[in-house]
Formats: sequence, structure tokens, C-alpha cells
Amino acid sequence: MVFKEIMVSVNYIRCWRPGMGFQKYKVALIFSPLILLILYLSMGKYSVSFGSLEQLLYSDSIDKTIFFNIRLPRAVEAMIFGACMGISGASLQTTLRNPLVSPYFLGISSGAAFGAALSMALFGYRNFFLVQPSAIIFALLAVFLTLSLSKFRGQFSPVSLVLSGMIISALFAGFLSLVQILVEPEKTQAIVAWMIGRLYTITWSDVRVSAPLALLGIIGLLHFRWRIFVLSMGDEEARSLGINVERERLMIILLASIATASVVSVTGIIGWVCLIAPHITRFLVGSDPKVLLPASISVGACFMLLADMISRTAWSFEIPVGVITTIIGAPLFLYLMRRAQNEWR
Amino acid sequence: MNGVEAVDLCFSYGEMMIIRQASFGLQPGEILSILGSNGCGKTTLLKCLNMLLKPEGKVLVDNMDLKSLSGRDLAMLMGYVPQMHSPDFPYRVVDVAVSGRTPQLGFSIPSKRDYELARKALDRVGVGHLADKFYTQLSGGELKLVLIARALVQEPKVLLLDEPTSHLDFKNRVLVLKILREIADDGIAVIMSEHDPNLASLFSDKVLLMMNKGEIVRYGSAKDVLSPENIMKVYGLEIEVFEKEGARYIFPRLGA
Repeated sequence: MVFKEIMVSVNYIRCWRPGMGFQKYKVALIFSPLILLILYLSMGKYSVSFGSLEQLLYSDSIDKTIFFNIRLPRAVEAMIFGACMGISGASLQTTLRNPLVSPYFLGISSGAAFGAALSMALFGYRNFFLVQPSAIIFALLAVFLTLSLSKFRGQFSPVSLVLSGMIISALFAGFLSLVQILVEPEKTQAIVAWMIGRLYTITWSDVRVSAPLALLGIIGLLHFRWRIFVLSMGDEEARSLGINVERERLMIILLASIATASVVSVTGIIGWVCLIAPHITRFLVGSDPKVLLPASISVGACFMLLADMISRTAWSFEIPVGVITTIIGAPLFLYLMRRAQNEWR
Repeated sequence: MNGVEAVDLCFSYGEMMIIRQASFGLQPGEILSILGSNGCGKTTLLKCLNMLLKPEGKVLVDNMDLKSLSGRDLAMLMGYVPQMHSPDFPYRVVDVAVSGRTPQLGFSIPSKRDYELARKALDRVGVGHLADKFYTQLSGGELKLVLIARALVQEPKVLLLDEPTSHLDFKNRVLVLKILREIADDGIAVIMSEHDPNLASLFSDKVLLMMNKGEIVRYGSAKDVLSPENIMKVYGLEIEVFEKEGARYIFPRLGA
């Protein structure tokens, strides 16, 4: 019986074309992050029972500490991270008309990694309150360099933007290697751990650092979603429809960069989410940014909650969530690419 | 004057002069076809008219200088249908058409009424039945019509089209031009580039013949402009002219 059920749903997924509609999934997109959040909070090495929520709230037990100071901030940060990555990736892919672009392509990841490494090298790797600002500053610096490098005859073309992003990424990766070679081995280890990306260090203060900028980016990009749609028609057509192409594209890139840099600076470089989440969303609701952008917030959050649940509970020790997202991400991306190939071009 | 008027338009890419002192005017309801050999600057002239490029000289629509208008205001006066459009993402046809409302919408999402306008425009150019399909699945002719519908949703006074009949089969060429004629008859000034002198003279009120380096050879009615002498000057081709029931037909004289 169960087998039959599974076959029916597998068949449903197989027959199902990308973008079959948003309305059908609206409810699911709103509620699935919440359901996953509850699941996330109740799962873990230390079991917190939900039967005693009242007890949890009014006691000073260890349950309360684990629940409110360890699991909840971590879950919240996971969701913020996923949401930022989902919407930033979806916005950039659409605006730059390239389904393979992600915020990391603009140099954010290597800029942030270099910033974090530099701060760890200079001030010690335990001073996380210095690592964050340094990572965010260098991430935005890398984006700024990418943008100014790609400006050619006063115009940004999507292709030159992606190429400049690669150049800047390579440059910062080189600096990063230099730092890694020059510092003591235990610092190198800390730098590598930061670069893989993890959520087990997250506290409420991390959430407070990243949430305002992340929200700014998300709300800004949502505000731009109709313009993003028109921009994806091509520069000349967007201009003939009354859009100031250069200025608005720059705004969108900046919003996506701010959102991404703010979360990456506290979690490290958790890979593939910014590429995978938009594509899962596109697979579910289609490419139209009006629905793609809001939906990608929900999908990104769900993806991160799931990945972190695996990271926390699947093994006897904890595997950094960045490892999980990369291991799930690569084959999943291959699958989505095969499925949607005809739809992209 | 009403309609659209170009006064002394000049444009150059660096040292290269592309458009040289182009001046012409068009009333609402008229169609202007721009003819000339490949690479003579037809597309450049169109892009100068809607300020995608920055020409010297003036373009007036209803006596308003387009240079003084914002991009958004300009988009409410002029629609543009590009020669090529490569669809990158599988958007629904009606969503593509409704994007013509962007100048009116600003940052807001189109309402039901906007979608009704888009569907009406799609019906008008005869592709209403495709409204809910993905526009990546359309043929070249259907895609052209969808883009024309999008320009109509803009409710422009002037419609610019860059080679609306290129890459279309014989029937679709005539179909597109017939639709453009209807659009013009509703009081829109239509300016397009066209390669076929016969179709140009059948469907347009004015013809503008361009020489290489953007020099305007002749501007006026099709009968005056498309004379054997002018065609010789522009294309280096000898032609034969036939007249039947008031229409003129031009054929190349082969083996001459």
C-alpha cells in the first residue's frame, strides 16, 4: 500500500511540468517553513518534549536554555540565510538573464572569506565579533570592485559582470591563500572551518547582526520584482518600456549583495543554496519573478532547515551544514538542469 | 505639427557618421517604411528616434521634444518592437504582453484590468489563443505579433518597428503588415524598416530611402521615391516597374 502511494506521487512529480501554477502551492509555500521549523526545534541529540511547552516557558531548566538560546536562534538564522540566498539568487539570475549566476559569482564568497581570514590572522580566531564586520566589508568591497571592473563605456553588460566577478573572486582567493600560508596552523584550520560554513556557532547576537540588513535586501528585492521581470526582457526593450536599465540593475545587484553578505558574514560560506533554491523554486512555480521571488524565500528557508536538520542529527557528530548543502546540492542541481533544459533556452 | 517629426538628426559612433541630417515628419495614421541596403543605418535611425541612442538634433512627438522627457514619459508616447528577441525564461505570453503597461505601472504589479488590456491587445493582433502558453514555444511570426501586442498595450502615439517582417514566411509578412495598417488606421503613426519595396509601397504612405552612411536619398510617397534611378543609386540594381490597377510592382531586371 505504502509502495503504491509512493509510486503515485513519484509519477505525479514525473509528469509534472515546471511552472504548473502558483495558486496550488501558495498554501504549501507559506506553511511548509513553519512546519519544518517545529520539526527542527523538536529534533536533536537532546530531546525537548513539546508536551510541556508551558513547563518550558516558565522553568529555568536546561530544556529552556537549549530551546531558546541554542536551537531557536540557529533555526532562525538558517531560515534567514535560506531566504536571502533564495531571493538573491532568483533576482540575479533573472536580472542578468543567466540561470547559472548566483550572488557568489559577484565575488561575495571569496571577499567574505578573505575578510574573515584576515581578521582571524590579525586578531585571533576566537574574536568572532571582529570576523563579522571584516567579512561583510570585504564581501561588499569585492562586489564594488566587480561592478567597477565590469563597467565598460559607462554600461554594465551581464556578460562582463560575470567575467569580472570571476576575476575578482580569483584575486581574493589568491590573497586568501597567502593569508593561510602565513598564519599558524590552528588559525588555518579555523579559516577552513569558517569557509565551509556552519550554523552551530549561531547565537542571538549573530541573528541581530544579520537580520536587519537581510530584511532590507529581501524587502527591497520584493519591491523590485516587477522591474526585474521587465529587465529580463533585455536592455533595449526594458529601456523602451521606460526603465533606467543601468541604475535599476545596479540597485538590484546591491540589494542582493547586501542581503547575501549580511548572512554569509555570520555563517561562513555555505555553498550551493543560492544556486539550488532558485532552481527548485523555478521548478515548482515557474520563472515569472512575480511569483518566483516570494516563493524562493520560502523554498530557501525550507532547504536550509532541512539541510541543517540532517547536519545536526544524521551522524553521531555534527557535520557542518556547508558540507551537506554541497553534497546534496551538486546532484540535485544536475537533476534540475536535466529536467529544465528545454525550458531555459 | 501632430504626429512625429525628426529635425536634423545626426548620429555617429566615434568617427563614423551613421545618420546624416535626417529630417522628416509623419502624421498620425500614416505608415513610414525605411528602406536601404544592409548596414546603412536603419536600425540606428530607429534607435535615435526613441532615444535608445543619443542623437544630435530633435525628435518631436505632438510638438514635445523627446530629449526633455523622462524614460517613463517617453515610453508612454512611443512603442518599440525590436528585430530580434531571444526569450531566456519561459514566461507566459500574457505576462510578456502585460509588461507593456510598465510605464503606467511603475513598481506595482499589474492588476486584473492590465491583464484584460493585454488579452485585448493579443486578440487584436490575432494571437489571443496563445495567451496562456509559454512564449519560448512560439514560432517567429507568433513571437513578433506578441511583441507588437505588447507595444500596443503601451498605448503609444508612435510605434517603431525594426524589420517587423524579417524571418517570416510570405503569409505572415502580409499578416503582420495588414495588422500594422489597422493599427495605423486607429490613429497611431507607424515607422518601420522594411526590405521589400513592393510590400513597402503596398502598405505604407511614406517611404524613406537611405544610402550608406545614413544619407537620406529620398523621402515622400512610394511612387516618387521608389523610382528606377533611386533604386539604382541605393542598391546598384536595375529594375523593371509594372503597374496594375493603380499599384506599382518592382522587379529586378536579371541578366542585364
